Amino acid sequence: MDDDQTFEPESLSFWGKRRFVLLIILAIIVASILVGVAMMMYNSSGAAQLDLSRPGYVDVRDKTVDSSGDFKNYSSSGTIDQKSIDEFKALYDEQASKTKAADAFKGDPLNPDAMGINATP
Amino acid sequence: MKKFNKISVICIALTVVLSGLVYLKVSAEANTKQISQIRNECSSLKNTLNQLHVSDALLRVNMGQRYELMSTKLMDRFNSRAASNNFKTDILDESSNKYKSMLDVFRSDYKAYEEKMVLAIKIDCQSEPSVFYDALVSARSSRAQVYRDVVTLSQQIDDYRAAVSQFEKAYQAVGEKG
Repeated sequence: MDDDQTFEPESLSFWGKRRFVLLIILAIIVASILVGVAMMMYNSSGAAQLDLSRPGYVDVRDKTVDSSGDFKNYSSSGTIDQKSIDEFKALYDEQASKTKAADAFKGDPLNPDAMGINATP
Repeated sequence: MKKFNKISVICIALTVVLSGLVYLKVSAEANTKQISQIRNECSSLKNTLNQLHVSDALLRVNMGQRYELMSTKLMDRFNSRAASNNFKTDILDESSNKYKSMLDVFRSDYKAYEEKMVLAIKIDCQSEPSVFYDALVSARSSRAQVYRDVVTLSQQIDDYRAAVSQFEKAYQAVGEKG
């Protein structure tokens, strides 16, 4: 047996002896930084506002409407003639009236009167 | 004398502007009765805000999807089909681009509104009723802006339809010439 190739832990430095612990600490730091960046992107992109899986949205989670099935596909290829224009107009008018009918965010629920804090001085 | 007149005019203008700002500030603040109402109704107010926050989030998801589909499944496809048939699509492109820009404005305005609502919900209305009232006023004005965006989007949906009619007239004119 060759004595020169024997591994001697005593010859290693402080961090050399604890390199596995160091690896774990560095991995946790890198993971924390990446999670921080991801959370910043999640909040700044507006994705957070669309995420109904957040706590507090349990009641409305199943009330989302998938409108994609309601929109019939209008082919982006093919000839343009009176028939294809009429077809598009019919599809567009149907969806436009449905979209406009919702009249979302109408009303003033945050009005002090509506909130019951309408006291006059 | 002229210099004196100039200074007088500047002073009067500054007084008018500053008094206007002070009036606006005072009129936006809660009075003592409102502060006491906020303290008394704190939990009920928080509950109302939470419910509105949740229902508006659902509305945002459903309406956002509809607005997106109007653009991707209808406008873009018709523009693309007209362009691939070598028709002039400037008026269609302009109208759909305006719609897309407005959709971006709607997204960012809703985000601003949602952040203000979260801020209002987080404020302790028992210990900071005035701050809560200010946050409420701010959220209210942001929500009104979101509604104005919705009205503009509806208008632009009509504008695109008018652009399609114009395109159709141009198509028919070419057909008659041919």
